[in-house]
Amino acid sequence: MTKRIFFILIIALCAHSVFADSEAEVDSLYSRFQIEEVEVTARALSKDVIVPQTLKGAELQRLNALSVADALRYFSGVQLKDYGGVGGIKTINVRSMGSQHTAVYYNGVQLGNAQNGQVDLGRFSLDNMEEIQLFNGQKSDIFQSAREFGSAGNVYLTTRKPYFKPDEKVHVRGQMRFGSFALANPNIGVDVKLTEALSLTLDAEYVYSDGKYPFRYRRVLPTGETAYDTTAIRQNGDVNAVRAEVGLHHYYRTTGFWRVHAYNYYSERGVPGAIVNNVWRNGERLWDRNSFVQAQWQDEWFGRWSTRLLAKYANDYTHYKNYDERLLPSNNEYTQQEVYLSLANKVQVFNWWDLSLAYDYQYNSLNRLNLLLDDGPEFFLRHSHWLSAATAFNIKEYLRMQASVLMTAVDRNTPRVTPGVFFSFRPYPAIDLSINAFYKQSYRYPTFNDLYYTDLGNASLRPELARQHSVELAYRVSHKWLTANISASYYYNRVTDKIIAYPKGQQFRWTMLNLGTVKINGVDAKADMSLFLPLRFVLRGRLNYTYQTAIDVTNPNDTYYGHQIPYIPWHSGSVVVGLDWQSKRGDHYGLNYSFIYVGERYSQQENIIYNHVQPWYTHDLSIYGEWGIKRWWLKANLEINNLLGQDYEVIQNYPMPKQNVRCTLAVRY
Amino acid sequence: MHISRKILSNILNVVLCTLSLSHFSCRHDEVVYPTIGTHVTDEVREGGLYVLCEGNMGSNKARLDYINLHSGEYYANWYGSQNPRQLKELGDVGNDIQAYGGRLYAVINCSHKVEVMDRKARHIGQVDIPNCRYLAFKGDKMYVSAYVGSVATPELLGSVFEVDTATLEITREVKVGHQPDELCIVDDKLYVVNSGGYITNRHDSTLSVIDLPSFTETEKITVGPNPQRVRVDNSGKLWVCTDSYLSILDFIHEKKQLTLHASNISINGSTAYVIDKEQHKLRAFSTIDFEELDQPIDISSYENPYGLLATNDVIYITDAKNYVSSGVLHCYGYDGKEHWRAQTGDIPGHLCRVSGAYELHPDTTKQDTAKAFSPYITRVYEYLPAMGQFVNVLPKYEEGDDAEAMCRKCEQAIANNAGGMICLGGWGGYVTFGFDHAVENKEGYDLRILGNAFLMSGNEAYGSSEPGIVMVSRDDNKNGLPDDKWYELKGSMYDDPTTQHHVSKTYTRESDTIRNAFHKQPYYPQWIEAESITFTGARLAPLTEKISEQSVQRILDFGYVDNKPNTDKEGTSFDISWAVDADGKSISLPCIDFVRIYTAVDEAYDATGELSTEVTGAIDLHIE
Repeated sequence: MTKRIFFILIIALCAHSVFADSEAEVDSLYSRFQIEEVEVTARALSKDVIVPQTLKGAELQRLNALSVADALRYFSGVQLKDYGGVGGIKTINVRSMGSQHTAVYYNGVQLGNAQNGQVDLGRFSLDNMEEIQLFNGQKSDIFQSAREFGSAGNVYLTTRKPYFKPDEKVHVRGQMRFGSFALANPNIGVDVKLTEALSLTLDAEYVYSDGKYPFRYRRVLPTGETAYDTTAIRQNGDVNAVRAEVGLHHYYRTTGFWRVHAYNYYSERGVPGAIVNNVWRNGERLWDRNSFVQAQWQDEWFGRWSTRLLAKYANDYTHYKNYDERLLPSNNEYTQQEVYLSLANKVQVFNWWDLSLAYDYQYNSLNRLNLLLDDGPEFFLRHSHWLSAATAFNIKEYLRMQASVLMTAVDRNTPRVTPGVFFSFRPYPAIDLSINAFYKQSYRYPTFNDLYYTDLGNASLRPELARQHSVELAYRVSHKWLTANISASYYYNRVTDKIIAYPKGQQFRWTMLNLGTVKINGVDAKADMSLFLPLRFVLRGRLNYTYQTAIDVTNPNDTYYGHQIPYIPWHSGSVVVGLDWQSKRGDHYGLNYSFIYVGERYSQQENIIYNHVQPWYTHDLSIYGEWGIKRWWLKANLEINNLLGQDYEVIQNYPMPKQNVRCTLAVRY
Repeated sequence: MHISRKILSNILNVVLCTLSLSHFSCRHDEVVYPTIGTHVTDEVREGGLYVLCEGNMGSNKARLDYINLHSGEYYANWYGSQNPRQLKELGDVGNDIQAYGGRLYAVINCSHKVEVMDRKARHIGQVDIPNCRYLAFKGDKMYVSAYVGSVATPELLGSVFEVDTATLEITREVKVGHQPDELCIVDDKLYVVNSGGYITNRHDSTLSVIDLPSFTETEKITVGPNPQRVRVDNSGKLWVCTDSYLSILDFIHEKKQLTLHASNISINGSTAYVIDKEQHKLRAFSTIDFEELDQPIDISSYENPYGLLATNDVIYITDAKNYVSSGVLHCYGYDGKEHWRAQTGDIPGHLCRVSGAYELHPDTTKQDTAKAFSPYITRVYEYLPAMGQFVNVLPKYEEGDDAEAMCRKCEQAIANNAGGMICLGGWGGYVTFGFDHAVENKEGYDLRILGNAFLMSGNEAYGSSEPGIVMVSRDDNKNGLPDDKWYELKGSMYDDPTTQHHVSKTYTRESDTIRNAFHKQPYYPQWIEAESITFTGARLAPLTEKISEQSVQRILDFGYVDNKPNTDKEGTSFDISWAVDADGKSISLPCIDFVRIYTAVDEAYDATGELSTEVTGAIDLHIE
């Protein structure tokens, strides 16, 4: 029995998947593996014109990461904006095009925020996550909704799917996490097999942290003598959040399925704010509720025609109130609604030629209410239409191509058309070496805040246009005792009519700036490998490095012409090394070390000493064990983050936590 | 634990940095922000100019720059050089800066404080006022407008705080309108504009009038939407900038409105300069008839004209660009010619000209980096002796000398510890001088003034005393000239019934005929063109007595110049706390800029001539 499990694991790993997330869960692993195998094989050999960066299953769980945002730091080309602490806003910026060029999909449907276009990835827990993928350009499959063709970078979050052995009806998971800064994070999940084809999943989580972490500001005189050195405790950084999700999955025949997913998130948090001279505490509070229901249906006819229907209704509520007596009071409520419908069709004309056509419609509204005035609410709405046509064809084993064209029409603005072309060339089909390249245009439309924000909004903003050019060389080794993926890409992006969001005082508010034109040149290099050592040891490594210049070329008369744009480091990268060992009876033990580096950068447009921000780098360590006892499964994990206690800031004046610890205990049946 | 962590850290850093490429660098100690000097002009002028750059909210980048107008050196982040140990630097969003009473005061809006500095911008203290906005001064009090009061009101009213500049304590508070911004003081009234700018479409449009003695709001005058600035001109009229009008109010609230959106205003002499936001132009108006005047300065190339300061010699205008990058400070002559420009910090909004001209110490890590102040007087502003036997001699008048030339001669005699002597002539004659800084009013004596008195041997109650009364003044209008209100330092004879206050005496050229044998030169000051001079002041009763056959004077207790010998340190020292106003009411001055001395007695004798105060120098006791 044990032998078989190990064997399965090896295969799973060889098949470019990292192991399934429940490797010790003997029975479900088996059934799961079979599903994975099909998927993985197919992808590795044929589908990917665009190779995504992927973190999934156990590898994801092993990272020192609490939220999706923490995990995305391990991808190359990604810059995370992190305001610190469990409750601090965390957004990502892919290849320097700006966070609003990155779309985030939750189980295949985009998470929207028509108000500010930012998705706070710090709110998405990893505990419920099966896979995180990042695609530069667009997803590799032309069978997608029209809107998915519309973003420059795409992050796909896929939640756990239930897997049952034939005689199983119910799985239950319970997990408790404790940590520094009074972190308490219980999580519970239930999967129920209602019929052979129909299953139900429930997942609920609560997060609390008081956010009171110590931070230190120290400066020295040029002589090295201390100018000042002070340590304080972050205040008003507490967070209280509840998430509950329920999903219903129905697979019928071999081709069709439908699923419905309902999500509800509620949080109350302090906005700790910038630490500036004479201000060590801020008093703003933020309440959020994000609710959505999404449904997906998909089927296939005649073996050649596939149809997918997506529908979503989202209702988001934000309440922002300032209790800081030194500031003028503010008390605002924002309610957003979104209705989204998508119809996508794909036809396989020949085995080597696919065509797809998709149409999406979206309605967004924003209701803004200033509770200090009795003016009544202000109301903004927007209708958006997307129409896409795409084609994919393969020339034998050598060349795969995709081309897509998207028409976007937002309200009465002139519809805009953006193309995308993708190639993957494999000169030697016997060797897993490919040259991938793409060109793509995409627009990011101004958000409601950009357009209508009191005093700051600018109703005449144009959409921002990003043009991406990218070339990648990817190589893959698959050996009995080693699997490795190595790739390097060069990209050149040009963003015109760029709208830049600056944090201004309160995180929740931004200043809209039409920065103009940005020219981005970058190199991403990434490698991951698994080395299967004797005595059931597995050594894993992951390396990412990004070099990029993102320079402002708006106007040669500007003092910052040719300067690197704010918060984009020239160098960034990460290293992850993990050692796993499996005992003869199937228990697992592992040690994981990760290092993240973000190089020097500037906090404002001008690259002058007064705007300089130092590099930061953190060392994180985790240790875990997993034990299977009959049908029970236990896991314990201890993480130490920022091992050396570096005092650093990602965003200026928002100090990050020093050394901190998390401990997770999980049980599954 | 600590050591092992450090070792581990070093090992890791060495490994990683060895692996790294060129500017793939490691983290170093954060060094304080540097002060960077740039030579921007060869033009030589008096004093210096402080430039307060606001910085963006949350960025903590308020920056105080300084240009030495004498050397033409512009120092970015001057404050940092003076206060490198200030925790988290100057602060977040600079909103106003003013020099008053020898100090600098800067409002740091989002750091909720008024930073109090000496003239070299060295930190003295701070006053915590939430959401403070602008400053005004009167006497020993500072007035600060603030968007919020100490107690929040549901109507979101702001407050004006009164702060004692000596103790830096808040003494009084008065609620005004919505989001009060600029304020100014005319006599006993404080005027503050209520901008109401925080809530769009709810702009306030009023000017609050506050009666200073009772510190209550007496009236609200409607001036126009979103008023942000209020300034007083030299005839006491108020100029209020609103979104739509430039309103001019005189004391009976007769209002004149010019339809323009002035984003900034600076009044110099009888001209008001304004930045017209809509026309993107600098415009000038007469403060007398409100007619628009021609002015040649062209700011059409500016991205965002912002700060403005009109001085006697030049005009300074800043361009804040896009608010999130360095601005530019331009200096123009009134002929429209640009003299120089300098790159500033983010949002250069507030300018303040001062009399000191400081250079950066080469070692910026030293706390005291600027050139030290002189303890001696450096400048004589006025010299007007009454008729006397040493007039036109001490100092010597030469054909063609004017009043200015005589002042320079006085400086040569008594300034900078020169050790010479000047004579003030008979009753009422005076000299006015100052230091290169303001003399602070501290505990005990503040300054010494030297003369040529001596004591009678054997009877030290008598001697040669030719007492002069000391007057002091502060540069309230900040023009660097002694044209402000004067206060008398109350000496021991002030309350004596024989002392006459508020008396006048006129000397005429015609009466200049009686001369004694020793002094044959004219006694009337020859550089004065007028045929007569009238002096006003206090007059002491005659002091001369015959003691042991000698004509000597009774030595007064304290408070008079040239009364006790220079060897008597205490007897030649003065305390600014003795200051009284014209009515004899005690006045508390935190500091003074000018000193005037006049001969206090009106006595003349055939043999010895008139009693006349002689001055040989003065010393600020607080400067080492």
